[in-house]
Amino acid sequence: MSMNDVLRNLKAINGRYQMFHAMTDDAEPGDAKFLFSAKDNLTSYDMETCAGSRILEGYHPVFDATSIEKLRKAGGKLIGKTNMDEFGFGTFSTNSGFEIPRNPYDLNRACGGSSGGSACAASVIEDHVSLGVSTGGSICCPASFCGVYGIAPTYGRVSRFGLIDYGNSLDKIGVISQKATDLKKYMEIIAGKDERDPTSMVQPDFKTAYRKMGSVAIPKEGIEGLSKEVDAIFKEAVEQLRSMGVDIDYVDMPSLRFAMPAYYILATSEASTNLARYVGMRYGHQDGDHTLKFDDYFTDVRTRYFGDEAKRRILLGTFTRMAGFGGRHYAKAREVRQVVINDYKQVLKDHDAVLAPTMPFTAPKFDDISKMSALDSYKADYLTVPANIAGTPHLSVPCGYDSEGMPVGMQFVADHWNEDVLFSVAEDWEKQFDLRRPEVSI
Amino acid sequence: MDVKTVRDVAKFAHIALTDEEAERYCKDLGDILSYFELLNEAPECNERGVNPIKVEDVVREDIPKVEYDADQLLKDMDTYERYVRGPRLS
Repeated sequence: MSMNDVLRNLKAINGRYQMFHAMTDDAEPGDAKFLFSAKDNLTSYDMETCAGSRILEGYHPVFDATSIEKLRKAGGKLIGKTNMDEFGFGTFSTNSGFEIPRNPYDLNRACGGSSGGSACAASVIEDHVSLGVSTGGSICCPASFCGVYGIAPTYGRVSRFGLIDYGNSLDKIGVISQKATDLKKYMEIIAGKDERDPTSMVQPDFKTAYRKMGSVAIPKEGIEGLSKEVDAIFKEAVEQLRSMGVDIDYVDMPSLRFAMPAYYILATSEASTNLARYVGMRYGHQDGDHTLKFDDYFTDVRTRYFGDEAKRRILLGTFTRMAGFGGRHYAKAREVRQVVINDYKQVLKDHDAVLAPTMPFTAPKFDDISKMSALDSYKADYLTVPANIAGTPHLSVPCGYDSEGMPVGMQFVADHWNEDVLFSVAEDWEKQFDLRRPEVSI
Repeated sequence: MDVKTVRDVAKFAHIALTDEEAERYCKDLGDILSYFELLNEAPECNERGVNPIKVEDVVREDIPKVEYDADQLLKDMDTYERYVRGPRLS
């Protein structure tokens, strides 16, 4: 599909897959060198930005996020802002105030979350790159469910300027594409220091030279609780890696099982403070009743426009920060983050990466998701959360298909700032992996 | 977790709850917090970083500049005489 074809058919494509919240009306690519989309929590001067939340409906930023600005400068044309869980709060992109993206391999299934629309766009549209954002697994999870490649780089590698925060100490902007080679190509553009985001200012040079992955460690904790099919497909993929000359070791990383509760305490604590700014003033809905008193005005707007999961996480985060509980659990969560980092550093002294399936199951059906409790949904993140809490770069590659044709992914985690070895193994993997594209019809 | 605590937290967070919501969030939060008790088994650690990487202060020259036009910033805001409108304080 040429760029012209994509732009002409954009509305029809979106009508079927619902990956975009906002789209360009421009049917001509002009002098664009490539087309890209971006998760809707990245600000864009020419498209509404809502981060999946009704409370931001009508917000038209006056500036681009640094990552979008850099892709435009490199010749990219932004074609759409992708649907997502509200503020990133979800594993399936079903917690949205707007449209829910549909899995390209089966429209009755989810794309994963929270960058579900981005992974969907990357899977459906040829030669497309999409910007995703990961807080607890929101790039690799949807990449796995949609059968594409995705990387969440080291925390601080890409400027977060223009990102609508979920959890400041966890958020990372990365890239999703059908092609492993695209990950390095576009990450090289968006990476780098930006004085508007201090956490980006300490990063070392971005390495792009080929560096063969010599060995991986598979934690026993990362292969527990898998569906039978994911387990079998992952084992085959491991044998394939071995045949490519990668040494495989099985290790214990007991701290991984503590990462999920620590993550949800840190993430919701940060989210509950970040979301305090949404009160029906300055941006988004500003239709509150000005005859109400100060607190009542804010409560009215927030109650009307925040979705169910946003309210749940605000309540959880507010509670965990409160005196008594907060002193006990918040401090412990910060300790656990350091324990997980130390465990990764220890294992990565002798290995180039830690490897496990990206998700314990393939993309679930919407009916099944609706029966899951909040805790069930949180528990589904146990494989992606550890690397996110540690801020270590991680990359998901498609590694097989289950009996119903749904993609399975596996995730490599490298040490801080070592994205190069992840790009190399993904490109080596791509050369021998038989990627089955979804049958795209519009 | 009990319904009164959920209501107290919600008030603090500026969210109004119906009775049904208060009951439902009470159960959800109770289940989630019970699961979080797992952290009691986690090993001790003396380090508690705020960020997963070491962040140093990087300073630049303080040069006054106008990056965005004020009228542009105000264009979608509910304003009165170029002031952002908000609720009354009392």
